[in-house]
Amino acid sequence: MNGAGAPALPRWRRGGPATVALYLQFVRLAFLKMLAYRLRYYTGVVSYTVFVAGNYFLFSAIYASRPEGAEAARLGGLTLAQMIAYVILSWAGRSFTFNNIDRTLSWQVSKGEIAVQLIKPLHVQTMMLSEALGEAAFRFLLFTLPILVVVVPLFGLAPPPHPALYGWTLLSFLLALVVNAQINFLVGCLAFYLKNVSGVVRAKMIMMEFLTGVLVPFTFFPGWVQTVVAWLPFQAVSYVPVMIYLGQRPGASLAGALLLQAAWALGLSVLGRWFWNRSVRHVTLQGGVRWRPRRPQGPCCRAARAACGAGCTSRGARPRSSSPTSRSSSSRGWPTGWTSWST
Amino acid sequence: MTANLVSLGVQLLVLSAVFSKVESLRGWSYDQVLFIYGFSLLPLGLFNLVSVNLYGFSEQYIIEGDFDRILLRPVNPLAQILCSSFGTGGINELILGGAVMAYAGSRLGLDIGAAGFALLPLLAVSAALVYTGVFLGLTALSFWMEDRLGLAPPVYNVIRFSRYPVTIFSPLVRLLLTFVLPFAWVAFYPAAWYVGGEQWERVALLTPAVGGLTFGIGYLTWTRGVRRYTSTGS
Repeated sequence: MNGAGAPALPRWRRGGPATVALYLQFVRLAFLKMLAYRLRYYTGVVSYTVFVAGNYFLFSAIYASRPEGAEAARLGGLTLAQMIAYVILSWAGRSFTFNNIDRTLSWQVSKGEIAVQLIKPLHVQTMMLSEALGEAAFRFLLFTLPILVVVVPLFGLAPPPHPALYGWTLLSFLLALVVNAQINFLVGCLAFYLKNVSGVVRAKMIMMEFLTGVLVPFTFFPGWVQTVVAWLPFQAVSYVPVMIYLGQRPGASLAGALLLQAAWALGLSVLGRWFWNRSVRHVTLQGGVRWRPRRPQGPCCRAARAACGAGCTSRGARPRSSSPTSRSSSSRGWPTGWTSWST
Repeated sequence: MTANLVSLGVQLLVLSAVFSKVESLRGWSYDQVLFIYGFSLLPLGLFNLVSVNLYGFSEQYIIEGDFDRILLRPVNPLAQILCSSFGTGGINELILGGAVMAYAGSRLGLDIGAAGFALLPLLAVSAALVYTGVFLGLTALSFWMEDRLGLAPPVYNVIRFSRYPVTIFSPLVRLLLTFVLPFAWVAFYPAAWYVGGEQWERVALLTPAVGGLTFGIGYLTWTRGVRRYTSTGS
């Protein structure tokens, strides 16, 4: 007993292992959810094959019309074989790192479903990253690998200059996945401020194809464009891992390129946390109730404490399998139109 | 409009990057390719005006059972569906397409004359009929198949590559885009009337026939599907 004015509730804590277990649960659930929708990824394989095939034929034509005597048959520092590897890996990588966090989050904000997330005793940012990891595990096994199985025999993938680069490329794509997830989270947070965010989300998707280097390698552009993109986080999503595979990574060394990605992953996570804490104060729920947390990180913990009551234990914080996110993120969301970029 | 502008900007950047490395793409200059790209936005815009209703057709009309209501009315079912709402984003594409064509045309010193202006709506509408025919056919498949997604997205993704002159591709791809999935007719063949020189003029004038034929096949598939339709009963 510590004197007068004792707090009504003991401070609620989940503890480290329980927290890890909680978010691992989201990884698992996201994987299972994707598994349930696996049929729609069959046409996705066709879509990505179309992208690779189209770019293959396009770049073949471009290389065929390069000026006579161009130094060593390279355009933008790449031979045709390297260019084809670039195309294959960019699109295969995209099929792995892609996720819909921006759509899901903005959809939840505008529909008011975000309220359900806010009363849960967890961090929405970490939860969404966990779901992206689970989704990526599914994508790798049942989307990216099938795409590679179709595309590599058709067009031929040149091996990297050193076998160890296979492993480093994979690691680099893992970092790319985190960077992409954090960018999407930041874009999704914009929904707190904008009434209609679907146009922004679409524009971002188109812009990302260019800024990540998926469409054309940056070496095709004049120096000042390369300088600009080198200072942006987007190159860490596709250009860096693909160039690592080709043995032409930007920056001084392999470690430097990976560190750059890791730095962006970390920096954008911190930025996302900060932006989320700001944005969440802006939320106006249906009926005009304005959310006003007392502390920046308050909404989750306080509401949860109120919901669970004093007897809340770490086990009580387990998510139920039918959490709204697991339903909403891929079956609903902004209409995509005819494009299947969203797979 | 933002998304349309961004899309256009990205396309321009990619084209200028490519043409900073090569002077011409198998004989086609930057301005010619740009003109073809601009033209391709016209039929795409027209198609996008009505296509929002085809996208999601099986969900809204077949699974939800709205098609019963359509069939009860004494107006052509397809006309009812296509006109039930308009994707106003298509207007942006028409404007931007016109602007890109005007810009590329002035750089080429193109004088299309009165005949060219008169032909433009005909070619654009015919090309839009190619789109509509293809996607109508694909949509109609949902009368037979329960699958909601189907083949439409991968086919849609072919469009972005059919905006280049088909002659730069290998003969097999050219054959596919001309006869099997006739997307060469939505941009290159009609636009070649303006920028391709004399040998392409006759080919370009076949566009209305191809548009009619493609739409005819799509519509035939559609009517057969409609006859097969059984209501969900809910």
